[in-house]
Amino acid sequence: MGENHLRDIMDWLEEIALRDRSRVCDVLGCKAIIDIKTDPRLGRADKLKRIKEQLRRSRFPRLAETEDAIRAKIQALMLHPEIRLSVPPGLEEGRLRVEFSATNHEELKRLIAKLTDAKENSIIPAIFDLLSGQMVTQKRS
Amino acid sequence: MKPFAPAEVIVERGSETSPIFHNLRRTLPQVPFRYVEAVSTPNRNGSLLNDGFGAAKRRLYLTKHKGEFFKKCPGSDGQICCNYFVINFASNCPMDCSYCYLQDYLADNSALKVFSNVGDLIDEADRTLKKHRGVFFRIGTGEITDSLALEPCTGMVGELIPYFAEQPNVLLELKTKSDCVDSLLHFDPKERVVVAWSMNPQSVIDRDEHGTASLGERLDAARRCQEAGYRLGFHFDPIIEYSCWEVDYQAMIEEIFASIDWRRLAWLSLGVLRTTPGLKRTMRERFPRTQLVTGEQVLCPDGKLRYFHPLRVEMYRKMVQWIRRMAPTVKIYLCMESREVWQQVFGFAPACEKELGNQMAPAVQQLAHDR
Repeated sequence: MGENHLRDIMDWLEEIALRDRSRVCDVLGCKAIIDIKTDPRLGRADKLKRIKEQLRRSRFPRLAETEDAIRAKIQALMLHPEIRLSVPPGLEEGRLRVEFSATNHEELKRLIAKLTDAKENSIIPAIFDLLSGQMVTQKRS
Repeated sequence: MKPFAPAEVIVERGSETSPIFHNLRRTLPQVPFRYVEAVSTPNRNGSLLNDGFGAAKRRLYLTKHKGEFFKKCPGSDGQICCNYFVINFASNCPMDCSYCYLQDYLADNSALKVFSNVGDLIDEADRTLKKHRGVFFRIGTGEITDSLALEPCTGMVGELIPYFAEQPNVLLELKTKSDCVDSLLHFDPKERVVVAWSMNPQSVIDRDEHGTASLGERLDAARRCQEAGYRLGFHFDPIIEYSCWEVDYQAMIEEIFASIDWRRLAWLSLGVLRTTPGLKRTMRERFPRTQLVTGEQVLCPDGKLRYFHPLRVEMYRKMVQWIRRMAPTVKIYLCMESREVWQQVFGFAPACEKELGNQMAPAVQQLAHDR
């Protein structure tokens, strides 16, 4: 594991323990982490990756929840595979990034038409609501 | 608030003729004074293990400042800045907030210093203000120290107010978490001096603003300054997010506006807690039980950690809504925030830092004119 990953994990473990008034060993002993550690289908690298992601979710629960909600809404749009919507890591800047590429004029026109259809979908404003904090209401416990 | 009394005052030779020296001798008769040829101040080496930063706050140095006093506020990369200038008449602070960025910023030079050459400071300010009479300067003195916490012993601000009160193109802001305003009350600020408080609910003060005045003491001091003719400012900075922050901040805002006349407020600012990875490590070492490091803060493009974007936008919106309910037209600005955040909170963003600075200057100039 690289130094930066290790530092992130150590910081998150300590901060979760401090926040939850528990011990680092308790954080590492939670069911979600144990499940990953004991999953026979996962190799060592995958286990580390999943454990880190699980710790991130535990350290930043509302951020993870907001990211999940945005991801689910983007999937629900069922856009053409050539059109990609994404948000920056940590949702900083509150921007929705739209990417598409075309190899000819007809394809470009088709993608733009699909994007134009999508803009009328009520899911799009809901994504912007999430990005601008209008649905981050759940207080931390 | 418990008055500050250093364990020792160390005076650099040549500073004995300064009015600040005489004020210190008069106000700290029980404190030993030591005289040295040149000040050699503590540095970072081993400081965190022995809390050298905390220890540095208990010894006061009086020394000449060799560089420039007058500087542009550095702001933060890529964030909208309010076109502010700073004058540093002291370095470090006798109070000890667990989130204080000086723990990191002054880690290599943590001595609590007051600069004795106040005449040089005024001369430098005078040259700049006279050279640019067409420019309106907002100048703060609370960038690397608290503007008033040392005032009962140094009398520094008392030396500055008479000069700045006479300048047509300036507004001097004294930013504090103290209640040390007694020496200010007999001056006429002539609308050129704003006394501003950094405000947080009492629960935050108790947990993380060690050695500062209570909320009630700050409000009482603010009311006394307003009665003495000073314009006031309030900085809700850092806003801390915790389980009942909404209840506490709303109650605090109501308490503030019940105590003072909001129509004579110069401005309010909002800024959420900002740290850096380095500062966070220092906070954890110096204040192991602080919960501030456990907030959902992410690294922003300027290298600072802030609550993640949607969360802090929502916090700002709520603060603005609570303030507007009590003070519909008061000037509110965001400190060190991006154009996107401004846009989502207010529906607009200043085009540039000059625009934001100018938005605040004319209102104040008008008030001076109306007197």
